[in-house]
Amino acid sequence: MQRRTFIKNSSIAAAGLIYQPSLAFTEDPLLGQGNKLYRLNTSWSKADVAKNPVNDCHEMVQDSKGRIILLTNEVKNNVLMYDKAGKLLTTWGSEYPGAHGLTLFNENGTEVLFICDNNRHQVIKTTMDGRVLLTLDYPKETGEYTRAEEYVPTETAITPNGDIYVADGYGKDFIIRYNAAGRYISHFGGRGDEPKHLRNAHGVCVDQRDPKNPNLIVTSREQNAFKRYTFQGKYIDTIPLPGAWVCRPVIKGDYLYSAVLQSNSNLWKQSGFITILDKNFKVVSNLGGSEPKYADGKLDEMYQTIKYFDYPHDVCVDDEENLYIAQWNSGKVYPYKLSPVV
Amino acid sequence: MNKSVFLILVFFTTTICKGQSPVQLAPPLLKYHSKFFKNKVTVEIKFAQPGTQIHYTLNHQQSTEQDKIYTKPIQIKKSFTTIKAMVTGEGFLSSETVSATFIKDGLKIKSVQQTPSSKKFPGNGSNTLIDNEGGITDMSSKTWMGYQQDSVEINIAFEKKQKLSSVLINCLQNQGRWIFLPAQISVFYFDKSKQLFKLLGEQLLVTNEKIAAASCEPIIIVAARKVKAQKIKIILKAIKTLPEWHAGKGQAGWIFVDEIKLY
Repeated sequence: MQRRTFIKNSSIAAAGLIYQPSLAFTEDPLLGQGNKLYRLNTSWSKADVAKNPVNDCHEMVQDSKGRIILLTNEVKNNVLMYDKAGKLLTTWGSEYPGAHGLTLFNENGTEVLFICDNNRHQVIKTTMDGRVLLTLDYPKETGEYTRAEEYVPTETAITPNGDIYVADGYGKDFIIRYNAAGRYISHFGGRGDEPKHLRNAHGVCVDQRDPKNPNLIVTSREQNAFKRYTFQGKYIDTIPLPGAWVCRPVIKGDYLYSAVLQSNSNLWKQSGFITILDKNFKVVSNLGGSEPKYADGKLDEMYQTIKYFDYPHDVCVDDEENLYIAQWNSGKVYPYKLSPVV
Repeated sequence: MNKSVFLILVFFTTTICKGQSPVQLAPPLLKYHSKFFKNKVTVEIKFAQPGTQIHYTLNHQQSTEQDKIYTKPIQIKKSFTTIKAMVTGEGFLSSETVSATFIKDGLKIKSVQQTPSSKKFPGNGSNTLIDNEGGITDMSSKTWMGYQQDSVEINIAFEKKQKLSSVLINCLQNQGRWIFLPAQISVFYFDKSKQLFKLLGEQLLVTNEKIAAASCEPIIIVAARKVKAQKIKIILKAIKTLPEWHAGKGQAGWIFVDEIKLY
């Protein structure tokens, strides 16, 4: 014990001669506030950029085998499957030039993926190794669309019964509901001035944290908010996140995680961060962002404070509570990993 | 002892090899109601990151870590005061500087009339362009009047003849949203003896350069010589079509204007 202390102290003293302040360099930086603190590792991915490049890293999920699955719009390999240590295990996919949304669903014991492709104006359901099971074209059944180009799906969410909800986040901002077979049921959201309307409906997820009261959380990114709806599409309420261009909501345990593409106060200047909300939708930590503050129950404007990220686009939370951050338009970087500090 | 020396070497090697350069801090937030004011304006500077300090200047100089540390909201009374602010923190690179210029009311205007704006961006009543409200880069702010047409005409009248030396027109630039600065701004004054409008000043703007960030641009047109007039006419000409590099190339862009000042 004494010996270890001695070694540590002498390193500090020696390092102090060269670096000032020195110790900040010896460990990965610490991000966040309260009890949601993480160490950032920017070199998690061990993929070889010459063999397996990425373009925009849009979304990530973890499967039951523990693999971390990344979706990118690089058609050399649209899907990259990693282990948690960052070793690339396998890749597939070359037909998704607009690969954007990635959702994993356990269908009666078999896992499947749903890919939203911005350029193809389609949603594609595949097996874990990329075999196509179902393709959803633009939803003319809604009566809202006259051609495929008007429909630019960004995200899907699947309810336990298999119903598919597609967010047309770069199109007309409708949420379109299908049954498991892909038959159109209904649609809601869309643009307008009422609370139930959406502007840049970039993400959607199923929130089952209250098992008696499951519902949908939809992103209204340009309004800096999440909005909640019933499975039938009835608007419930809005969760304002002032200043934050939230991407999709990701729920793990009691918490909701979301990549914030950028800060409203500093648009199109790589001003992203990660936000974490507790089960009462209270922001508890911003990674690379301002300390969350509430005054009279109202959340203060949030913004990036430290430039750890450029344009984070998704958070994947693994079975050990590590976070993986996929980034859009950020110099083709591989995802970063954040490990919780307990 | 040998072992500890070895460990120290390992420590250095790994630290150096890791090559982690310090990360940069993001700029602070300047918060204010409007960039235009009648008597005074209060500016708050925000940066909720423990262990950092905000430095600022009010004298148009670049702010540095030697400058005053921000502790409480700043009151501004002098026209064209520019606040520049940046953040420092141990272990981090200093932030970029952010700045904002605050503009005091000019000559008293009796009335303003302009080309009807788009219904989508109607502003906030008939006095939108002279109400000392604006300078907010958010295009959905009710301070903006938006136009998607070739030219916009603004007519201003004083109570009586005024000596006039310059005109300020505050425009929004947000190219991602198809909002460009006008390509040309012309200001005319009414010559009562000749019963016609004469040119006071004119400015051509380079508007097809690609700029990602949204910004408010106060454009000032200075008269070649002072004139006395009771009526002023301002013509904003839009760029003909959106430039080649733009997603909406070949189509019409938007002009957004929120405030006019006469001096």
